[in-house]
Amino acid sequence: MRSSPPVRVTLEGASLRLDADRTLPLRSGAMHYWRLAPERWRDGLRALKAMGVPMVETYAPWGVHEPEPGQWDFGQRDPRKDLGRFLDVAAEEGLEAFVRPGPHINAELTYFGLPAHIVHDPAIQARSPSGRPVILVFPPRMFPVPSHASQAYHRATRHWFEQVGAVLAPRLKPRGGNVVLLQVDNEVGYFFRNGPFCQDYHEDALVRWIEHLERTHGSLEATRAAHEADYTTWADALPPKRFGEGIHGEVPGPGELTLQLDWAAFQEELLTWAIGTMAEGMKDAGLDGVPTIHNVSLGEQGLQANVPKLGEHVDLVGLDYYHPAREHRAIKRRTLYLDGTTGAAYAPELGIGAPPWFTPLAHEDSLYTALCGLAYGLRGYNHYMAVDRDRWYGAAIDSKGRARREADDWGRLNRALDATAFHTLRRVARVALMIPREYARYARQTHVLGPLSPSTMEAIGGTPVDGCRGDDLGFDRPIQLRWWQDLARLAQALTAAGVPYRYVDSDAPIERLDAHALLVAPSYTFADPARWERLATTRAEVITGPVAPSRDLTFRDHAFEPVGETLDLGDDVQVQAAIHSWVERFELRRPSPVAPPLETSLHEGPDGDRVLFVLNPTTEPRTAKVSLTRPTAAVDQLSGERFEGERELEMTMRAQTIRMLALEVSS
Amino acid sequence: MIGPDLRVEGFDAESWTHLVGIFMPNLEDRLSREPPSSDADVSLDPDDGGRARGTLILVDDAERRILMARHSMEGTLPGLVGESSARDLRDLTAAQGARRVVVIREGALDGLADALADGLAHEPPSARSGYVTQWLVLLRAVRQMVEHGELRVWPNPLASVPVPSNRMVQRTFDQVLPDDRALVVALFDRDEPYTSLVVRRRHGLIDLVAGPDLITTWTGPLGGDWRRDHRILNRAVERHVAPVHLGLFAEVDAVREALRSGEPGEWARQVTVRDMVIDPMPRSVKVALGADAIRGLSHITSDLLGGFDLVRAAGPVLDRVRSRWTEIRSLSEELGFDPFIVLAALLRRDDD
Repeated sequence: MRSSPPVRVTLEGASLRLDADRTLPLRSGAMHYWRLAPERWRDGLRALKAMGVPMVETYAPWGVHEPEPGQWDFGQRDPRKDLGRFLDVAAEEGLEAFVRPGPHINAELTYFGLPAHIVHDPAIQARSPSGRPVILVFPPRMFPVPSHASQAYHRATRHWFEQVGAVLAPRLKPRGGNVVLLQVDNEVGYFFRNGPFCQDYHEDALVRWIEHLERTHGSLEATRAAHEADYTTWADALPPKRFGEGIHGEVPGPGELTLQLDWAAFQEELLTWAIGTMAEGMKDAGLDGVPTIHNVSLGEQGLQANVPKLGEHVDLVGLDYYHPAREHRAIKRRTLYLDGTTGAAYAPELGIGAPPWFTPLAHEDSLYTALCGLAYGLRGYNHYMAVDRDRWYGAAIDSKGRARREADDWGRLNRALDATAFHTLRRVARVALMIPREYARYARQTHVLGPLSPSTMEAIGGTPVDGCRGDDLGFDRPIQLRWWQDLARLAQALTAAGVPYRYVDSDAPIERLDAHALLVAPSYTFADPARWERLATTRAEVITGPVAPSRDLTFRDHAFEPVGETLDLGDDVQVQAAIHSWVERFELRRPSPVAPPLETSLHEGPDGDRVLFVLNPTTEPRTAKVSLTRPTAAVDQLSGERFEGERELEMTMRAQTIRMLALEVSS
Repeated sequence: MIGPDLRVEGFDAESWTHLVGIFMPNLEDRLSREPPSSDADVSLDPDDGGRARGTLILVDDAERRILMARHSMEGTLPGLVGESSARDLRDLTAAQGARRVVVIREGALDGLADALADGLAHEPPSARSGYVTQWLVLLRAVRQMVEHGELRVWPNPLASVPVPSNRMVQRTFDQVLPDDRALVVALFDRDEPYTSLVVRRRHGLIDLVAGPDLITTWTGPLGGDWRRDHRILNRAVERHVAPVHLGLFAEVDAVREALRSGEPGEWARQVTVRDMVIDPMPRSVKVALGADAIRGLSHITSDLLGGFDLVRAAGPVLDRVRSRWTEIRSLSEELGFDPFIVLAALLRRDDD
């Protein structure tokens, strides 16, 4: 007797549950149907499957399917645009599908995949403080970016979803098709114009800004008091156009600082609302019954995107990875943030190659990035790009569907992940470092490089506070810099001590905080009382510091109840002593230690330790001597080398390489 | 120059990295740098023995009080915050061990973005103007920032160089790659293919940049004696893409040397000794090479140091161009600059 079809595909950690008996690791490879001749589709899909991924991923580009207003083409005129046929061919080849219909997709398309008539519609264009369109400087053509607040944009988007939904909905898994995963929009942000005062001053955004103020402060009177302003109506409560405007050389007062934090919070809220609206639009178009995800671009800590809040509208939020090997620390930090904040670290775009506009990445960079991400908790990814296309270099499979030599490495990696059931393992870390949103927002507002935004600074290998003012702005220290620097130094000290840790966003669900024995939460003169409440609620032991806060987000005196010990995070000696004490007090495991600057990262399954990564991030070859607690044999999953030891595993490490070792622990 | 329908395809990671590395001399160093020692404040390199390097980036307010100070390779400079930026930029640069300084007025970059929006506002949605034309709008806005003192740079590379007009850019482009023609570059490393490139211009704008994978589908595998086989490549490009206007075939080291040396006569020498084959060679390139050879000759005759071989090497080219001095002058006048001097100046950059 045949079982009835499942009501919906669901996400279980980093696995997709397709039915009662079948799960799928969250791994796929990207291939763009409209950029390839249809007669090449099957070859590309077969090569992709041979690389060891069970899903093909593709964007569906609105601008390609609607080249002129109202003229839709899903293959009726141009066979390359036959999305339905492409998905059917993938199904015939035994591949499930992950589809990303935007509306914005980038994909190195002119206008980021949006139709020309959309980006040139004044009602849709985002606005600068002076009311001008906001231009994105991006090849091959600069263009005015859309407003996430524009009702006209959302109406047009719903119409696009209806059109593409007619092709996709019948092909969703619960309806007998092979589409098992959908993405809502793409790399949400302000289209790389993410400076604090770049946008959005669109009239529809200003309406939402007033609503935000009313929700935050409760009334016009309260807002007026908080901003120390003379508003007589809501129309007077305009957003800031720069930091400390009108204050010449003086310290900004509580009203100005409150206004700035309100704006920073609003910019996050607007993006969250936009994604929520689009997610609803997709459901209304029949795109329901499979999990949805969203991908956040590089530079997420400097970006106005709020990962936990986005996670309230989609099933999983991931980060995109394009890094040279030398950005080891960024890859590690980003993955630890995902692992700590979402509970299932996933890369919707894990670069194989890159767009030709940026500093080139070698194959070795892409491989290092993948292994470093996996080492620190990445459980699933989408190879972007698996199959070559225009405006890209370095994909694993060429546009004729022939595997390039790099495909061998990716195939070995995928087979290793399957062999170790890597998507079901976990990296044990009992310490979490909290990333407090109020300080990240404060830092963004004090950024003085305008469109060279905090996110951009971070994405190009710096930090999100690199462009911030350096003065203390009337506090006891430059908080806009120190929150980041103190956390980074603490992370460095934990790494040196061999203590695994994660980062957790202060807006993450409480269970993400509870998942740790110890939570270190930076605190300075001011703090968010709501965050403090959560610190008081969590089951984790809490350490705050360097100082106990005394002011709330309106910068007025506030009585914060102590929630744990206070530690001067800026004092390296105190921090090292504290870590030493935490190891005993919280029985923190320091698995398989190795001498710095090498690093190790251990992953365990239900039956014990399964996979050990040994990392050499330096540009020199090294010999790793990994300490063991019991006799162990390990096999390098990429090279096939085998290592054995009673008390130590010794192995050579080439410069900037990572070994993924499957462990065979002797009883 | 770059069209909205541009296709860039046919590169694997190695061929692309090789290609970009030709024009980005410090690429290999940048890719192989040691990771920053800390996330707290990214320092790209350990101290390099006091040698001046990197860029000092300052943001000041209307009273010229420094709000933010960074060294591009060494991180934040808290000691400069609150100081006055109204001082000699050369001294400031030297004091911080940097090679250059950029001082930006707070809010000026947001103003620049608005100026760009204004500059592009008159461009109708259907305009065929390319990305380069859009960049000229931006560069003119930057020039205005400099003139208004909102952006101060030392040394100032724009001081003596006017932002080129659309017409000047267009004329240069027409000389290098006329419409409906292709440009071919194939580089070899000891006879093994190193990287290759085909660029096509159509309807006034570049619409195709093809790499080795795509080129190989037109030609079959490249290799062997490139000094002979380059004709096969040209014919294949003519069949599949467009008539070839300019083809450059060379050992990669010869191109690197010519691009970076800045030595007068270097291009002419490489062509003459056949480490570089230019085929076809359009008139503008013949003239430019002649100019390069004459520059080399005048350099040698005025210097008299170790130039004998170069004179001999460049001799045949010089013979050809001596009678065309008027053309050489007219090329420079036409373009408004000496292409080899500009190339060398752009590419002879140090490690940072």
